[in-house]
Amino acid sequence: MAITTPIDQAPATKERTAAAAGWAAVRDFARRRTLGAIGAAVVLVMLVVGVFAGVLAPYDPLAVDFGAMLTKPGAAHWLGTDAFGRDVLSRLIYGSRTALLVGFGAAVIGATLGAVLGVGSAYFGGRVDLYLQRLMDIFLSFPLIILALALVAILGNSIPNVIMAITIPMIPRAALVIRSSALTIREMPYVDAARAAGFGHARIILRHMLPNVVAPYLIMLTAFLSQAILAESSLSFLGLGVQEPTAAWGLMLRGAAVDFAEAAPWMALFPGFAISLAVFAFNLFGDSLRDALDPKLRTL
Amino acid sequence: MWKYLLKRFLLMFPTLVGVAVVTFLLIRVIPGDVVELRLAGDRGAASQAAIDAERVRFGLDQPVWKQFATWIAGVARLDFGTSMWTGSPIWDEIKLRFALSLQVAIMATLVAVTLAVPLGLLAALRQDTWIDYAVRIFSIAGLACPSFWLGILMILTFLIVFKWLPPMVYTPFWVNPWQNLQQLIWPALAVGYRYSAVATRMTRSAMLEVLREDYVRTARAKGLVQRLILVRHALKNAMLPVLTVIALEFAFLIGGLVVTEQVFNLNGIGLLFVQAVAHRDYTLIQALVMLVAGIFIFVNFAMDVMYAWLDPRIRYR
Repeated sequence: MAITTPIDQAPATKERTAAAAGWAAVRDFARRRTLGAIGAAVVLVMLVVGVFAGVLAPYDPLAVDFGAMLTKPGAAHWLGTDAFGRDVLSRLIYGSRTALLVGFGAAVIGATLGAVLGVGSAYFGGRVDLYLQRLMDIFLSFPLIILALALVAILGNSIPNVIMAITIPMIPRAALVIRSSALTIREMPYVDAARAAGFGHARIILRHMLPNVVAPYLIMLTAFLSQAILAESSLSFLGLGVQEPTAAWGLMLRGAAVDFAEAAPWMALFPGFAISLAVFAFNLFGDSLRDALDPKLRTL
Repeated sequence: MWKYLLKRFLLMFPTLVGVAVVTFLLIRVIPGDVVELRLAGDRGAASQAAIDAERVRFGLDQPVWKQFATWIAGVARLDFGTSMWTGSPIWDEIKLRFALSLQVAIMATLVAVTLAVPLGLLAALRQDTWIDYAVRIFSIAGLACPSFWLGILMILTFLIVFKWLPPMVYTPFWVNPWQNLQQLIWPALAVGYRYSAVATRMTRSAMLEVLREDYVRTARAKGLVQRLILVRHALKNAMLPVLTVIALEFAFLIGGLVVTEQVFNLNGIGLLFVQAVAHRDYTLIQALVMLVAGIFIFVNFAMDVMYAWLDPRIRYR
């Protein structure tokens, strides 16, 4: 106790320096990793667009206007309209909401559950580790899209269910990576010390081990973000993900977009650009973050 | 080494059985079954007795563990039964479609390797020059282009610019190679681009790592020509992780072509899987999943064997 008090006595300055250090880190990241910063900027813009979709979208994304079916991009509809006369730009803007919701939802839940399982597996070792690993092996043998398809068929295709269907295949992938980092941490003297001090398993895992796998956790998280957005658009494209009339990018690429490809190519072009831009931005940001956090770790 | 390989070999089976159990249970949780769906076509005219009779015929009235035992006993004899939807043997349903998906996967792999290895090598040798940046942006862009989107772009270009469309009917390679390639090269390219992106990045980072090794410096110090250093010392060692990535992607590709097949209207394994799920065709789903997962598990095993063979340090783990 006596040792920690002097530090705790200056909370005001501590807070300010923490904020300043945070800003310095952001500035440093932007200067040294320009591509990553560009990615982060695009992600930020997407977040703003998603949150303020209601203010930014020029039309109601669900409003059907049969007088303006398949309108070319122009002054009234910047990116044209679809086969129901719905404004493509507005649907793109609202679609970013769907993409981000599913992306962040699946990535955060998947990476977090994976981290807990991975660290737990490494910490307990022995039988627990063996059985958990075999279970993970089984789930890893299914291609992501196949497992997600089956899960959507079971759960139904509301947005929370789509998130869950994409999350479950991600868990073993995160667990695998985080377990291998946690294995080295288990051997650290401070974990021995915590055990010697008589702390419970939960406390050692949560307070001593989890904070030390933050780097691989964040790396998996950013990698999952783009994968989840891709998976959502793939599922929706197949007609098995988010359902009409909800605005989702993958959904916009399906059906009429292909039937009228020759007459109204904008219907297929813009949602595809949106998906690519989003994934590109998340990848750029994730790559730089990985380089910054752990230059030795390779991602697939 | 043999002990390690034997252990690794035997480990495949519990995983396969696990996959079988999970699949078996998962698909039975999906609401509705094949009998209901097939007889629903009669506008509810089918009597409950007829539905029950059909269920008995498929053995769906048995307890789940008994159904599983019957099925797995068949699988052990490589007999996957008949499709519950069409009634024809599973193998007849899968055969041609598997040939198609396998061919696209192999072609995509060829596209990926021919792009990835030279590009990755070039980027690593010219690290932080415009060549490196160009390769990296090209490959990150590849990761960002879903294959279905690339496929739509291709079809749009064919339609609008060339007023042409690839043949829509599948011709097996051994019947008419030219016709076959005209149809399948496009999906292979659409998938291969993303695939090459993954492999390029791995080649680049593996080469960068290897080029910093002592043995490369030694080779350079003893005055070996650059080409020999690269081929014999660097590339050989850098290829291991690259091969892993390529093999794993390949293993996933056979089942992962679902979306690409949809765009190009190809009647492959992926499309068959989507239909099988829609029809609740249990036997077909089970067979397809076992096929896809089996390939994945086997490729993984093969990679481990290769590692043990190429890298003596791994054998005694």
